[in-house]
Amino acid sequence: MSQWVLLSLLAVVLWGIVGLLQKVTTNYITADAVLLWDRVGYLCLLPWLVATASLSHLGPRDFLIGTLDGITNSLGAWFLYASLRSGAKASIAVPLTSLYPLLTVLMAMGFLGEKVRPLQWFGIALALVAGVLMSLETPAASQTESGP
Amino acid sequence: MLPKWLVYALLSTLWWGVFGFLGKVGADRISPAQMQIFFTIGMVPVAIVCVLRLHFKIATSKRGVFYSVGMGIFAALGSLAFFGAMKIGRASLVAPVTSLYPALTVLLALIILKEKVNKVQALGLVLAMGSIVILSL
Repeated sequence: MSQWVLLSLLAVVLWGIVGLLQKVTTNYITADAVLLWDRVGYLCLLPWLVATASLSHLGPRDFLIGTLDGITNSLGAWFLYASLRSGAKASIAVPLTSLYPLLTVLMAMGFLGEKVRPLQWFGIALALVAGVLMSLETPAASQTESGP
Repeated sequence: MLPKWLVYALLSTLWWGVFGFLGKVGADRISPAQMQIFFTIGMVPVAIVCVLRLHFKIATSKRGVFYSVGMGIFAALGSLAFFGAMKIGRASLVAPVTSLYPALTVLLALIILKEKVNKVQALGLVLAMGSIVILSL
């Protein structure tokens, strides 16, 4: 197997397990606490990153875009944890929120003037239908009513 | 009225949409490792808000903390594997393959957590996997 396939599968396995852990951990602690500690996990890798990448030639604009990316990611993560803590199933909330590229494509179209190809339009339509279908939870299934 | 979990899930999707967009803008300017550094710095203010909201009672369950930290490490390692794959493989192949990770989560949730999804949701899941592969192309 070529190396990119192995690395891609490794990413899938790690992220797939993350999705499961997101649900498991919200059974024990609140969304605030989950976010805090999972960000600590990210921080553990920071020394390694700093050792491999130089930031010297980068400007304030790069810094702004990068840090805003971290802020918006954290907010998205917080709301996913709040959703799971409010009784969402991992098998629904994780794939539902993974439809976010739909918005990314639309924003790239609106702000960067990127053209959306016919296949992408199909993907957008499919994502919308999928999102609605996944949202149709059977009432009895949402169990816990604890705060996020 | 939408159920609470759904409102939160949609807000999550919304923020991640912006995150994906910023990531796209950033990727044209700086390397993945540089992006990851800034990204990690960006997490700090949100984490601080969480600490304040928790009134500094940050570790009420050892197990919860253990899973959460492990989750963060796995997520970050997943990103590094992804960037590594992107570096040596074609983005047009790596992106759709790696976008399928929620399928594994669903599988694990059904097996380990014994979650059940209804038929309509199951159809939604299949369509979702198809759509994220297409959107990542």
